[in-house]
Amino acid sequence: MSENEERNDETTYSPQSGLSRRQFVTGVGGIGLGVVLGGVITGGLAQPASAVAIEGSEGYLVVDGHKCVGCDSCMMACSLTHHGDLSFSQSRIQITQNPFALYPDDLTVAQCRQCPFPACVEVCPTGACHVDAANGNVRTVDASKCIGCERCVDACPFTPSRAIWNGIEKHAEKCDLCADTPFWNEKGGAGGKQACITVCHMKAITLQKDVPVQSGDVGYNVNLRTKDASAKLKLPTGDDGFYTPAEVAAAKAAAAAAAAAAAATVKVGH
Amino acid sequence: MGNGYAGKILVVDLTKRSTSTLNTSDYAEWGGGHGMGSAVFWDLCKDKTVKAFDPGNVLTVMTGPLQGTLTPFASGRCEVQGIAPEGFPIEWYSRSGFGGRMAGQLKYAGWDGIAVMGKADKPVWIDIRNQNVAIRDAGPSGDNLWGLDTAEVEQAIYKLVRNNDTVNWTQYGGSRDSGRSTMNPGVLSCGPAGENLGRCASLIHEGGGGAGQGGFGAVFGSKNLKSISVIGTGAVGVADPKALMEARAWAESNWWDIDNLKPGLPGMYTSTPSGAIGADPINDVGSRDNSCLGCYKSCHGGHTSRGLAPNSSCFDSFYNMMGPFSADHASSDNAVTTDRLQRMGINAWEAVMSIPWLVSLFKLGILGPGKQIDSKLDWADVGSEAFNKAWLEALAYRTDVGADLAEGCARAATKWGRYEEDTTSGTLAICAHGYAHHYDARKEVEWGYGTALDGRDINEHDIALTLYWYTSMAPLFGMPYIMPAKDLVEMIGSTLLPYKDPMMLDFSDEGIYSDAMIKFISWHRAYNRFWKQSAIFCDWGVTDWINPYTKGYKGLTPELEPKFFNAVTGKNLTFEEGMKIGTKIWNLDRAIFALQGRTRDLDALAEWQFVSSKMAAHSVYEVPYIMPAFENGQWSYKNVNSRMLDHAKFEDWKTRYYTFEGWDPKTGIATRETLEKLGLGKVADELAAAKKI
Repeated sequence: MSENEERNDETTYSPQSGLSRRQFVTGVGGIGLGVVLGGVITGGLAQPASAVAIEGSEGYLVVDGHKCVGCDSCMMACSLTHHGDLSFSQSRIQITQNPFALYPDDLTVAQCRQCPFPACVEVCPTGACHVDAANGNVRTVDASKCIGCERCVDACPFTPSRAIWNGIEKHAEKCDLCADTPFWNEKGGAGGKQACITVCHMKAITLQKDVPVQSGDVGYNVNLRTKDASAKLKLPTGDDGFYTPAEVAAAKAAAAAAAAAAAATVKVGH
Repeated sequence: MGNGYAGKILVVDLTKRSTSTLNTSDYAEWGGGHGMGSAVFWDLCKDKTVKAFDPGNVLTVMTGPLQGTLTPFASGRCEVQGIAPEGFPIEWYSRSGFGGRMAGQLKYAGWDGIAVMGKADKPVWIDIRNQNVAIRDAGPSGDNLWGLDTAEVEQAIYKLVRNNDTVNWTQYGGSRDSGRSTMNPGVLSCGPAGENLGRCASLIHEGGGGAGQGGFGAVFGSKNLKSISVIGTGAVGVADPKALMEARAWAESNWWDIDNLKPGLPGMYTSTPSGAIGADPINDVGSRDNSCLGCYKSCHGGHTSRGLAPNSSCFDSFYNMMGPFSADHASSDNAVTTDRLQRMGINAWEAVMSIPWLVSLFKLGILGPGKQIDSKLDWADVGSEAFNKAWLEALAYRTDVGADLAEGCARAATKWGRYEEDTTSGTLAICAHGYAHHYDARKEVEWGYGTALDGRDINEHDIALTLYWYTSMAPLFGMPYIMPAKDLVEMIGSTLLPYKDPMMLDFSDEGIYSDAMIKFISWHRAYNRFWKQSAIFCDWGVTDWINPYTKGYKGLTPELEPKFFNAVTGKNLTFEEGMKIGTKIWNLDRAIFALQGRTRDLDALAEWQFVSSKMAAHSVYEVPYIMPAFENGQWSYKNVNSRMLDHAKFEDWKTRYYTFEGWDPKTGIATRETLEKLGLGKVADELAAAKKI
C-alpha cells in the first residue's frame, strides 16, 4: 500500500489478515498489536534522502503555572467541548496538584507543546496521530484511524504524557487547539479560540504563534503576571513565582510606615 | 448526552462491611446535595432519635447534578448531613458543606453521593476507585492511617491509591480501557479531634476545605472511619453542552477581568481572590490563590511556599486573633496556628467562640491551675503560638480542660455550672443550639431566626454580604452608596420570587417582626435549601444580588441558577419551581427535628441576644450594623447596632411564621395537610406514629 493512501475504519490494515481497525482494537482474530505497518506521516514535504520535514504548528499553548489557581475549568472545558461530557481523564490539558506540596511545586500545568518534531506523530503506525495541514498543522489524532497501540502515549517525551488514552471512547487523543470541538459554538483551531483559554479567569493560558524555546520548560511556562493585576492582588510577579526585590522592598516600606503611624497615634493618645 | 447525574448513590454498611447502591433517579425530586441527603437519611435511618455516635446514625456525602460540570460556584461542592453531635441540648440533624475537587471525583467515579451507616469494628478507610469500593484497614496492622492528622492522612492516601507514583498517569483497573488519571484522589478525613469524638470535630479535604460545623468529624470517628477517598476516571453527561459553555461565558463576562481589575464594593469579597493564609511579601513567602473545582471566584484560600494551612480562608484563621497577644503575631504565626487547627480537624467557629469565654473565666479566677476548673495550660499566654498548640492538642486529645471542652462549649459550660450566666451576659456568645454567634441575630434577624428554626448556625451570607457588610462598610470607607436604600431594596426585592416584595428587606425595629419578614424567612429557608444546598451553589457565589461588574450593579440571581441547572439537567426548571422544592426539603428537615424532640420552645436564641446590646464577646470581625429600614414612610440606611430582641415580639412572630408555613403554631410542627400538599404523606405518617402530629 502506498504511504499516502486514504485509510478509514473499514480499510484492511494488515495485508495478511484483512482486519479492520475495530477488529484490531478488540483483538478479534488473535492478531496482536505488534504488526509493523510502517510509519505514516501525512502533510510532510518530501526531502532528498530519507528525511521528511514536518511543518510547525501555527499555534502553541503557553501557560503561567505560578498564576494557575487549580480550578481545573480548563480540563472540564476541554472534555466538554470535544466530547460533550465531562471527565478529567478526557482532558488534553492536565493540571496536577498536591495542596500539601510547597508552592510553586504544588501545581503543574501539563499542556501539549505541539512539538516541532512530534514524537507522537512519528511513531503512529496508521497515521491516526498526524499533522493536520488543514488546521494550522496542529498535531492531532484522527480517532477513526487509531488502532489503540498507545505508541503515541509512550512516545511523548513529557510526564504526564500529553498524548492520552481515552478509555471511555477507546482511542488516543491529544490537544488539537480546539480544531475539532463539535460541542462548542466557537470556532477553534490555531486561528480560532481555545476552550481552556476562554474559561480561564486568571488568564494563565495563552496562545502564541511563534515557536517557543524548546529546551526545558522556560518556553512553555512563562510569566503572564506582568500584564495584569497580580500586583494589585498582592500575588508575586517574579519569573520564579516569588516576589520581586522591588515588591519585597515596597512591602517592608509599607509595613514600616504603618508601624510608624500606629506609634504616632499612641503618642497622640497620651 | 446526560442530565448531570452519575446515576447511583453508594451505600456503605460499616458494621456488615458491605456495600450496596441506590438509584439516584428514585431521589431526583430532591435535586441533589442536602435535599437528596435528607431524603436518603430519612429512608436509611429508621430511628431518627438515635444519638450522633450511635451506629444507626447515617452520614451522607452528596453531590448534585451540577458538580463536576464547569458550573461556577457549584462544580466543586459537596454536602454532608446526618445527626450532628455539636447540637445542644439535642444533637439536631444538620448539614455542612465543603469545596475542592472531591465533588468532581465522586461524579466521575459514577457516584452522586455516599451514605455511610453502621460502625466498623476497627479503624477503616473507604477506598473508591470508580465502581470498585473497598473498606480497608486503617489501623496499625493495615495502612496505619488512624492517628494521623488530616494533612498526613490525605498525603498517605494519595500514595496508597497511586502506588507511590503521583507524577505519571495512574492506571485503575487491569485493562487498557478501565481508566487512568493524573489526579490525586478526592479525600475527606477526620483528624485527631474526630477520632476522639470531639463534638466540634470537622471533616477536612485538601488541607482546608472543611465541613466544619456540626461535628461530623466525630461521626466519622464514632464509626471508626478515618477517611473516604475517591478517584473517578469516567465521565458525566449534560443535557446541552453548548448551552453550558455559553452560560459559563455569560457568567464570566459578569465577573472581574484580571487584566482590567476594577474596584469591587467594600465588604463584599467581590474584587479579589481570598489570598493564601501566611502569604508574606516581606519575607518573600510566595503564594498562589486557589479555587474550588470549576469556580472563577478563587475564594478557597491558597498555597504558599511554607506549605501551611492550604486552602484555608476567612474564619479558619480568626481564633488566633482572640488572645491579648494576638496583635503581636505576624502572618507567619497565623499560618502556623491555622495549619494546626486544620490538621487537628476542629471547627474554627467553636475555637473562636471559646477563647474569649475561657479568658474571662481565667480572669475571674475560676479557670486555672488548681482552680474550680482545673487547667495547667498557660492562660496568661493566650494567643501565643505555644498556647494555641497546647490548647488545640488538649481539645483534640481530651487532655486537661480539653476533656470537658471537647464536648463543646455548651456542654462544658453546663457541666461547670456556667451555661445560664454566661449565655445571658454574652461572654459565651452562643447564637442557638450550642453553635457560635456568627452574624448578629439582633440586627440581621434572618441569620438569627433562620438559625433558631434550623439546627445550626445557618452560615448563609445573602443578606450579610449585601445589606450588612456593604451597607455598613461603604460609609466607613467614605464611599457614597451605589444607590439609595429604596432603589437597592427594590432591586434585590425583585429577585425574591414569587413575592418580589421589597418590604421583606425592612430591618427596622418594626420590620424585623413584620409579616413581610415572615415572607423573607420563608423565602430564605427555601432558597438556601434548594438552590444553595441541593443544586448545590456555594454560599459565597450566590445569591448574586449586587454585582460590581454589571450595568446598574444588578446581580445575576435569579437568572444564573436556573440557567446552569437547565443547561446541565435539561429539566427546564424555573426559579420558582426550585423554591418549591426548597420548601419541601425544609419541611423534611423540620420533620426530622420534630422526631428528635423539637418543639417551639426549642426554636430559641440564647438569652444575651434579648438582654444585651453589647457586641458578642468573640466579635473581633464585626462593624456597626447599618441596614435598610423603612420608617415614617421612607427607606434609609439605618444604624441598628444597639438593638436587642424582644421575647414577646419574637414569640408572636414565631406563631405567625408557623401559621404562614402551614405548621401548628403550638408546636412548630407541620400539619398533615401541609405535608401531604408537599408530597410528604409518608413523613406525616411517621410523625403521627411518633405522636408528634
